[in-house]
Amino acid sequence: MSEIAIVTKELTKKFGNFTAVDGIHLEIPEGQLFGLLGPNGAGKTTLVRMLCTLLEPSEGTAEIAGYDIVKDAAEVRKRIGVVSDGVSLYKDLTIEENLKLFSTLYDLPSNIAKDRMHNLLDMFNFKEKSKRLVGELSSGWMKKAMIIAALIHDPKILFLDEVTTGLDPQSALALREFTRKLCDEGVTVIWTTHYMTEPEMICDKVGIIFEGRLIQMGTPKELRSSVSEQSLLEIETPNLDHSTLKKIEEIGNICKVTYDDPILKASCIDEGDKQIEESVTKILLDAGAKIRAINTKEPTLEEAFISLTGGEEEIDRFMEKARQKI
Amino acid sequence: MTMSNLKYFSKIFAIMFNEFRILRRNRSAILISLVVIPFFFTASLGAGRGGEGETYSATSELPIAFIDEDLSEASGRLYESLVRSEDFNMLLQGYREEDALATLGKGGLYAAIVVPEGFEKRLLNNETGIIIVHVDDGSPGVDDAVLSNIDASLSNFNPNPRIKQTGNIEFVGVEIVMKGASFSGFAVGLTITLTMVVVFATFYEIAGGMSRERETGTYSHLLVSPVSLGSIMIGKTLYDVCLNVMRTFIVLGLAIYVYGASIHANLLSLVLSVLFIAILTMGFGFLVSSFGIGVRAVVIIEFFLILFLFAFSGFFIDKELLRGISQTIATVLPWSYGIDILKRTTLIGQPLMSLTYQLQIIAISIILFYGVAYLLLKLSRERLVK
Repeated sequence: MSEIAIVTKELTKKFGNFTAVDGIHLEIPEGQLFGLLGPNGAGKTTLVRMLCTLLEPSEGTAEIAGYDIVKDAAEVRKRIGVVSDGVSLYKDLTIEENLKLFSTLYDLPSNIAKDRMHNLLDMFNFKEKSKRLVGELSSGWMKKAMIIAALIHDPKILFLDEVTTGLDPQSALALREFTRKLCDEGVTVIWTTHYMTEPEMICDKVGIIFEGRLIQMGTPKELRSSVSEQSLLEIETPNLDHSTLKKIEEIGNICKVTYDDPILKASCIDEGDKQIEESVTKILLDAGAKIRAINTKEPTLEEAFISLTGGEEEIDRFMEKARQKI
Repeated sequence: MTMSNLKYFSKIFAIMFNEFRILRRNRSAILISLVVIPFFFTASLGAGRGGEGETYSATSELPIAFIDEDLSEASGRLYESLVRSEDFNMLLQGYREEDALATLGKGGLYAAIVVPEGFEKRLLNNETGIIIVHVDDGSPGVDDAVLSNIDASLSNFNPNPRIKQTGNIEFVGVEIVMKGASFSGFAVGLTITLTMVVVFATFYEIAGGMSRERETGTYSHLLVSPVSLGSIMIGKTLYDVCLNVMRTFIVLGLAIYVYGASIHANLLSLVLSVLFIAILTMGFGFLVSSFGIGVRAVVIIEFFLILFLFAFSGFFIDKELLRGISQTIATVLPWSYGIDILKRTTLIGQPLMSLTYQLQIIAISIILFYGVAYLLLKLSRERLVK
């Protein structure tokens, strides 16, 4: 059984009367890629900042790799890597010089630091740019440089806070793949994002955070299921008669069948159940119906998010509140 | 030395060398820090040497001994003219020369005016009367003020009614022989230049540097790394100590080789005196940076600090010549003691280690500034995160 990398109990952060993070319970095992999903101002970054010891919790506790984030902050810092908007590299130095500085601060022996630096620069195709000043890099390369710096000491836990924001699609994809690989090697990654599709693509588990509270947690599939267990089968087939529709309704697992010529919609209880698709198709073909197109739609994480946070109106209200705070 | 000690020092040096790397990349910072500021202040004070004779003449409240060894009518009249001038309201009589000299420099007396035997006789013989003025070596600047005020008083001095009555005795004048410290204008200017250069550059380097790190997010990066706040502060201090040594040599080189200033200090004492002022300013810089202000605010505070030092710390006007609230502020300002140390070591070659009182105040102030800054930086950690 894998060890617990991060555990929080009733973790709360208040700024005056405003509660940014409200009593969060988390338990993240080693090697998991945990996504924190929420709109801007939901409390993701505050939560990450507490976990990486930049902010002290107002209430509650948290342990990183078995060390308390307040009492053993120095030990925690040795084991984490942070990539976040407010945590930067020295822009007047080259990436190599930045890496040298941080490897000294992390007490890396010079030979190990050198090897690791070369490997990381190689891995991110940074060799040619390693002598360039960080300030001269594009935002994509700057992000990569930040990730390299966060990995220089081989951290057990990596916080990636909105890392794909501002990245081109190729870089974002490469970064997601690299992160996935890191987790497979045993690194625990906390990936915060407000892009709804990202956690679905890479995260083992996702926590939905809204108004400072962790309102739901589970695998992407579990979260989608929490909204609706149904997937929607959509078939374009003109001129269906009533008896064929009745036969389709009688198939087990079908909740609801609607027909608005030429679109037949069938809600299925088991998402992606190929058997239902096959049964419906067979009935249609037996009845001599023409099938122009078949689509299966599953609920998305975005739909799950909207549903869990109380609908679009609730999100709009929250965003308005967040804007006013700014 | 244990392994953990070694690691601690390696982190301090990593921070220090990092500052140098950043400086190396930033040509304008090098230019401002090591060329513009030292050259600007040294050149402007050097060019202003013509005004070196002008001094602030507030000697009225300084205790000064009047030692009349001639006991003549002329010497009595000299005493009266000095008192009448209102520049010498604390002219004390009854001292013997040896006692007055022993009291000089201990705060009891700032100068002793001696009218030697034969003063009147010389005047009656149409010779120049001679008076001797001893000044406190430890109060550079007072000498000029005393001298110029005696000079002014002598313009109304009528040594003896007989000189005018007879008509055949001509009043030739009185020569003042100064004993004790005597400084050329630019030697005093050098101490001002060094102080200005050091305070101006150091404050910006520390307070501005910390604000810039906070604004760009590199300070947050250091805070999530296993490096202590103490290491960051010491690393930055060491970097700035090195810069200040360089700056001191640049200013000295200019002052001595371009403007011909003569100094009486040994180089080590001078550099150490400068570093006391620098480290004091660094502590203040850290303290200010703990308020979480931006670079622009640092620049504004810097100008106020310099103005404040101009007025109250013995920068231009000697602390002893200040009056009332100004002197109270000067007494409280730790920079006053740093400037005092610099003046005493540079101008009269007083050994640094003999300035125990000033050194103690500077040391306590440095500890206080650094201690409070450390505490505030710790407490305001969250505010300082970008």
